[in-house]
Amino acid sequence: MSIDSYRFLDFATRQVMKAWASRERAGVIPFTPLEKTLSACMVALVSTAGVARNDDRPFDQDRERRDPWWGDPSFRVIPLGTQESDCRLYHLHIDPRFGQADLDVVLPMRRLTELAQEGIVSQVAPRHYSVMGYILEPDALVGKTAPAIAERMRADGVDAAALVPA
Amino acid sequence: MLEASGIPTVSLSMIPDLTRTVGVPRLAGISYPMGRPLGNPHDANGQRAVLRAMLEVLPRATAPDTYVELPFIWPDSPAKARNESKDVPPSPIVELVTRKPWLLPNLYSGRIPRHQEELCAKD
Repeated sequence: MSIDSYRFLDFATRQVMKAWASRERAGVIPFTPLEKTLSACMVALVSTAGVARNDDRPFDQDRERRDPWWGDPSFRVIPLGTQESDCRLYHLHIDPRFGQADLDVVLPMRRLTELAQEGIVSQVAPRHYSVMGYILEPDALVGKTAPAIAERMRADGVDAAALVPA
Repeated sequence: MLEASGIPTVSLSMIPDLTRTVGVPRLAGISYPMGRPLGNPHDANGQRAVLRAMLEVLPRATAPDTYVELPFIWPDSPAKARNESKDVPPSPIVELVTRKPWLLPNLYSGRIPRHQEELCAKD
């Protein structure tokens, strides 16, 4: 089986995605081995759906609308227990209604809690994270946002992170 | 770059060819529509199976660029998935290159108009 989710997209979006894919070049890929068994790990989630709590700063959709080459490189903390009615999805490249109806579609905090109850993982992190999924120039994301998220994860004792696209 | 900070990561992707060109340590590919990476709303069993399958890639990987294709099959046709989101406006960049197709090569070449100058000016 080979993965082809382009078939779920309209023609124009497919062209943009393929153009984007062709310009990326992988450098040296960092690798940190998992030091424990999965069942001993505290896990945190990162969603690229642009989820922000209603009591937090929204992601900047207006600037992306004015300058479509730009994407907001900041991040938001999503505490465990955040419900659909507490937050909004700001990513402009997806249909946000599915994640808005059920946050676990993009940020599966409840599913992770169930896996912890089953013993598949040991603990669910108290804080999870969201960023915007469309950023052509990742300098700020790589240089500022990722280290800031990593710092919080280390403070919480997170052993591994699962990154969920949107 | 959480991984570089010492936190092992696994990434899920609906477009693993794009994600692999960026270079990630552990990747789980899935044939699901954008916007619904874990499955349909309120399908708790389906969502939990996807999350568990992606997490299980974490201990399996011994080197970067580990890639696993998850066996999940989207329950509906691609046409139905496209139709469900037909009324959602295109993203700003898709709207722009649909209106001005001659800008599409900028995406290929990485010549990002105006914004690049701003970045250079800051340095």
